[in-house]
Amino acid sequence: MFKKQDEKEKIKEVETIIGPSIRVKGNFNGQGNIVVEGILEGSLKTNGDIFIGDTAKITAGIEARELRVGGEVNGNIKIRKHVEIAASAKIMGDIECASISIERGAILNGKCSMIADQKTDDKELKK
Amino acid sequence: MHVYIYDDYVNKKKYENTLARLETRITDLGLNGKIVRLDVMKNIADAVEGEMRRGAKTIIAVGNDTTVNKVINAMINAEPGNPSSSDIPLAIIPIGKENNDIASCLGISEGESAGDVLSARRIERLDVAQAGSYYFISSAKINSRDTVLDIEKDYSIEIIDPGEINIINLSTFSNLPQNALSCPQDGLLELYIRNKGSRTITKFKPQETTSLFSLKKLVVNNKKFSLTIDNAQEVKMPAEISVTKKINIIVGKDRHF
Repeated sequence: MFKKQDEKEKIKEVETIIGPSIRVKGNFNGQGNIVVEGILEGSLKTNGDIFIGDTAKITAGIEARELRVGGEVNGNIKIRKHVEIAASAKIMGDIECASISIERGAILNGKCSMIADQKTDDKELKK
Repeated sequence: MHVYIYDDYVNKKKYENTLARLETRITDLGLNGKIVRLDVMKNIADAVEGEMRRGAKTIIAVGNDTTVNKVINAMINAEPGNPSSSDIPLAIIPIGKENNDIASCLGISEGESAGDVLSARRIERLDVAQAGSYYFISSAKINSRDTVLDIEKDYSIEIIDPGEINIINLSTFSNLPQNALSCPQDGLLELYIRNKGSRTITKFKPQETTSLFSLKKLVVNNKKFSLTIDNAQEVKMPAEISVTKKINIIVGKDRHF
C-alpha cells in the first residue's frame, strides 16, 4: 500500500489528476504529467508522463513520453520512452515503446513492438 | 498618495489595539495616507474610483478576504475598458485571524508586519478570474451535487461521488496535492474536485479523493446551489469562468508561489 502511494508521489509537477470519483469522456490532450485513478473513455495524449493507478479503467488510445500502468486499459499504447506494467495491470491492446518492464502477474493481450529510443539513435549517428 | 480602505468590521472595539499599533508602524515607515472608512452609507465602488482618479499611488485593503474581493472588483470596474486592469497596485493589511487566506497566501501576516510588506513594495502581476459579472483572485467553490461542468476542450467531466468543486486561481488550499502545478500568473485556472468516496463492505469510512484539471475556461451550472467566490460573493448560474484581467499586488517574501 505504501509503495504504491510513494510511486504516485514520485511524479513531479502533475498537471492533471483524474481521481477515482471522476469519469472523463472525450479526447483528453495535455502538455504535462497526468495521473489517472478514475474512468476515462476516448483518447488520452500528453507530451509528459502518465501514471495509471490500480483503480483506473481506461477505454482509450494512450500516447505519452513514459507510462506506468497499474489498472485496466482497453486500447493501443504508444510511448516514446519506457513503459512500466505493474502486477495489477490488465492491458487489452497493442504496445509500441522504446523499453518495457512487466511485473509478474500482469495481464497483457496484444502485440508489443519496440521502437528505437530517439537518444540512442542520435548516439549511434555521432559514432 | 496611499489610500487605506478600512472595512466596517475593523471599527469594532476588539481590533482597536491592532489598528493603533498598525497605524503607529505605518507612520514610522513614512507610509501615511488617506483613510476611507466603509460603512452602510459609503459605496466602495465610488470611493475607490474617486481615489484612483485623484491619483492614488497605492490602494490598500484593510480587512479580510471579503474586503479584498470588494476592492478588486471596485478597482477593475473603475477602468472597465482596460484589459490589464489598473497599474495602481493593490496592497492588503489583514485584520483578524479568520477569513484572511488570501493575505496568508501572499505572504502577508496580520498586524504591524503587514506595514513592513507595504514598505518593501514587492509587486507581482497576478491573474484575476471572472465569474459572471464578478471578479475574484483566489477561488470559486460550489457543491458538486447536480453541478454541470462544461469544459472548453472536447471532453466532459462527470462526478460520481458527492463532494466540493473549487475553481482555483491563487491556491489557498493547504491540502492540494504537493506535486500539483498551480500558479496565479499562468493565465490558467485549476479545477480541484474533492470527493468523499462511497462506502463499501471493506471500506466503512469513505476516504477523501481529489482530482485536478488545468483549463482556460469553463461554464458552471447548478439549479440548487450557488457559486461562492473568494468566500465573499455569491454568483448567479450559469456562470462562465476564465482569467480575464491582471492586477498588480504588493506581496511578501513568504508568498506561496
